[in-house]
Amino acid sequence: MRSEEEVERAVELHSDTVRRLCMIHLKNYADTEDIFQTVFLKYALSSVLFESEEHERAWFIRVTINACKDLLKSFFHSRTVSLDELMEQPAALPPDHREVIEAVLALPQKYRDVVYLHYFEDYTVPQISRILGKNVNTIYTLLTRSRRMLREKLGGDDYE
Amino acid sequence: MNDKIKEAFRQIQAEEPLKDRTKAFLAQKTKSSAKPVKRRFPMYAAACACLLFLLVMGHRLYFTQTSIISIDINPSLELGINRFDRVISVNSLNDDARELTAAMDIKFRHYEEAVRQILENKKIAAMLSDDEEMVITVAGSDETQSAQILSKLEGCTAGHKNTHCYHSSSAEVTSAHEAGLSCGKYRAFLELQLLDPEITPETVQGMTMSGIRDLIDRLSDGDAGVTKEPSPAGETSPACETPQGQDSGCGRHESHGGHGGGHR
Repeated sequence: MRSEEEVERAVELHSDTVRRLCMIHLKNYADTEDIFQTVFLKYALSSVLFESEEHERAWFIRVTINACKDLLKSFFHSRTVSLDELMEQPAALPPDHREVIEAVLALPQKYRDVVYLHYFEDYTVPQISRILGKNVNTIYTLLTRSRRMLREKLGGDDYE
Repeated sequence: MNDKIKEAFRQIQAEEPLKDRTKAFLAQKTKSSAKPVKRRFPMYAAACACLLFLLVMGHRLYFTQTSIISIDINPSLELGINRFDRVISVNSLNDDARELTAAMDIKFRHYEEAVRQILENKKIAAMLSDDEEMVITVAGSDETQSAQILSKLEGCTAGHKNTHCYHSSSAEVTSAHEAGLSCGKYRAFLELQLLDPEITPETVQGMTMSGIRDLIDRLSDGDAGVTKEPSPAGETSPACETPQGQDSGCGRHESHGGHGGGHR
């Protein structure tokens, strides 16, 4: 089990990453809070030794995505989500950013992780394939399709 | 445009209250899991104490003897019966009894099954056919249970020749044990002692029940040449009376018949 200081450091360092992943997967704030508690408790109780900060970040990304998927798959969890509810979170953002986030959230679920990991976290396709446990070619396909969809929504040619 | 996505995502940040609540939750969880043994110890101790109490009480309830069934024919043996009508002890009072019980599996069985096994034993069956007498005495601290056992045993022994059932008191059982005799033999010994005060328990210890009965008959008649003869049909043996003078129902069994009549 990790010390309180270690856990607090991890919360400060990785909570934004966890929050962003929650935003692209979950419907409401209560679920986000649940995932925060689940992910950081897992970290506090785990004895995994990380080689670097990057290694630790990748662990948080993988654990958060899995926790979100588990929550969404759970029997008692509602499987429906209204677009208004989904768009509730970026509402407080400036209009430019809101448009981009809404475009990402409007993508089918399987594209959102790839877009986030590639465009924001700067992971390469092989790295994304390892984190998500998917085939490299599948990631390429998902990335290409998501680029096309974003281009259609946001316009411009510079999504690479 | 790639920068636009990056910048848009950068605007999404974990709220301070969310971080604080998460930290508070983790502090509470890690503190509680750091001392699990200390917190759970009283609960485990209480559960163990309850379990131990139940085991001890259960053991005491099961292994407390509430009635006794004394079987005399020579072999003489006593079956200790618990409140659940199970045989919890088999006390063999002589070598014949030890030999008999060693060949049987009657411990922890229902008393009816145990008595049935004894009655069906080849050696016992042969002795009964050979006009030996079997006396079954029931006594116990629980009068209701003793009465029920006696009633059931009368049913069990109804088809067996020369078998008599009695009810006795706990005080009589104690006196019998002090004399080193089983209940059935002790009753016969008391009867014999009235006729001959010089008779000692040791004298009757190795005798068969029919042997003791013959001796009583001889002494009561003052005739040393008495031999056994069948009693007239329908005559009730005096031995079938309870100590209080009540008919225990033994009259239903076919008696040996040499006790009350037919003496020369």
